[in-house]
Amino acid sequence: MSQSFSLYIPTNSGMHRLHPLTKLALVFLCLVLGLFLPGVWLSYATFALIIIPSALWGGVLPRLLSALFKTALPIALSLFLIQGLFWPGGTPILHLGPLSFKEEGLYFSIQRTGRFIMIIGSFLLLTFTTRPDELMLALNRHGIPNSITYIILSTMQIIPRFQAKANTILDAQRSRGLETEGNVLVRIRALLPLIQPLLLGSIVDIDERAIALEVRAFGRKGPRTSLLTLHDTPAQRIARWLMLLAAVAVIAWGIYLWLAPRFIA
Amino acid sequence: MNLVIDDVGFTYPGGAEALRGVSLRIQGGESIAFIGENGAGKTTLMKHLNGLLKPSRGRVTVDDWDTREHTVAKLAARVGFVFQNPDDQIVERTVIDEVAFGPRRLGQSETDALANSVAALEIVGLSDESRTHPYDLSASQRKLMTLASVLAMRTPVVIFDEPTMGQDARGLKLIGDIVEELKREKRIVLIITHDIDFCSAHFERVVAMADGRVLIDGPTAEVMARADLLATTNVEPPQLVRLAQALGLPVAPLTIDGLIAALPR
Repeated sequence: MSQSFSLYIPTNSGMHRLHPLTKLALVFLCLVLGLFLPGVWLSYATFALIIIPSALWGGVLPRLLSALFKTALPIALSLFLIQGLFWPGGTPILHLGPLSFKEEGLYFSIQRTGRFIMIIGSFLLLTFTTRPDELMLALNRHGIPNSITYIILSTMQIIPRFQAKANTILDAQRSRGLETEGNVLVRIRALLPLIQPLLLGSIVDIDERAIALEVRAFGRKGPRTSLLTLHDTPAQRIARWLMLLAAVAVIAWGIYLWLAPRFIA
Repeated sequence: MNLVIDDVGFTYPGGAEALRGVSLRIQGGESIAFIGENGAGKTTLMKHLNGLLKPSRGRVTVDDWDTREHTVAKLAARVGFVFQNPDDQIVERTVIDEVAFGPRRLGQSETDALANSVAALEIVGLSDESRTHPYDLSASQRKLMTLASVLAMRTPVVIFDEPTMGQDARGLKLIGDIVEELKREKRIVLIITHDIDFCSAHFERVVAMADGRVLIDGPTAEVMARADLLATTNVEPPQLVRLAQALGLPVAPLTIDGLIAALPR
């Protein structure tokens, strides 16, 4: 079985066919909208009105929602419990024996969960619909150094790469009698024989990849030839500039909203 | 010990159909080589024997155990699996402890686990390295250590995944001797290999696979004589068989003596 070391889902959708930088600009705008403007619900609105329709257009919505659910649920639960129950001071709105949920803690949790969903959702949308090599080439052509694009590329590949390696190690250890199914204790005990080869193997991988890159002239200066061709249109170029301008405007507006009360005071 | 693979089909979560109705009966003491091009389904099939994969349809039984009803760790007591990459399993600080990892997990007493590990290290020629850190061994020695770690488990079935890869002539002879020793002990020995000369020298039965199905299954000499069928799965018959065919001899000799005997006087 061949396996891919990226989260990219190959489908011939309109979203997939967009220039990588157009999708990157869209993700940047989503992040700016969710992070720079105040209010609890803006992140959720960005997610519902931009990310979900884009994922639907790209045919990756079920995978995106499933991945998001798996990552966001534990974070959201811990946020609600810790911030809701242990917010210093605050207005109690629900009593659970000696503990009580505070309104301010819940408000904070809803806001942070929204931001988390929006950030992870944006990156999943980008990685599910963009081939890593195309993104790397697009960034290179716009003057981003190879070393930076390589860091972006390897970050996009780190989860599937780790996942594949962890599965192989788990298979090897289970085949030598390591029990991984059962109660929490059994599962915790199974972690050590998994983590050690995973970490050491990853360090060895880094070394081997660095050598493989160098022997293929990764560090060479000057022009490069690419066999990939990127499809771009004037409409997309205009859309990118508009999204960037909108993002800059939102940042400026966010800074104004943050500074204004201080100057008035 | 008998293995029964009954009309097994398997589809990976991504939708790739890797096995399409494979049926095999394997008796105690048999030695079988599984050959075929990459993606033919050899490794997928072998992973069904120790429960790493469960059939999407059909049934796999190891003696009276249905693999769907037992964990991999339990099945490891009956089926040993030597993986391709030794670095995927190294977890201990000395070679002897690494080899004893499996026997200890299978519940062997400390005395038995150490005795079996010492014996296994002697078989693979690593007795002098028992106190060495596994990462201080060479790549081919680490592969032999992986082999020893499964031999020490004393399982009635041993599966090797590409054991000859990266081995020099001495290593090849050693692995051949180990296979012969396991055969003498009436254990079932299964190998996944692209090394046709090794497989024809040590295995009595060959199963050639293509596209998730069994293409040919029979005595080694008979299978190797079917150059036409083997070509469909990109397997070349052993050199001796090709030489005999080029000379127009009506036999498929697997040894030099066999070839000499077949030459017209």
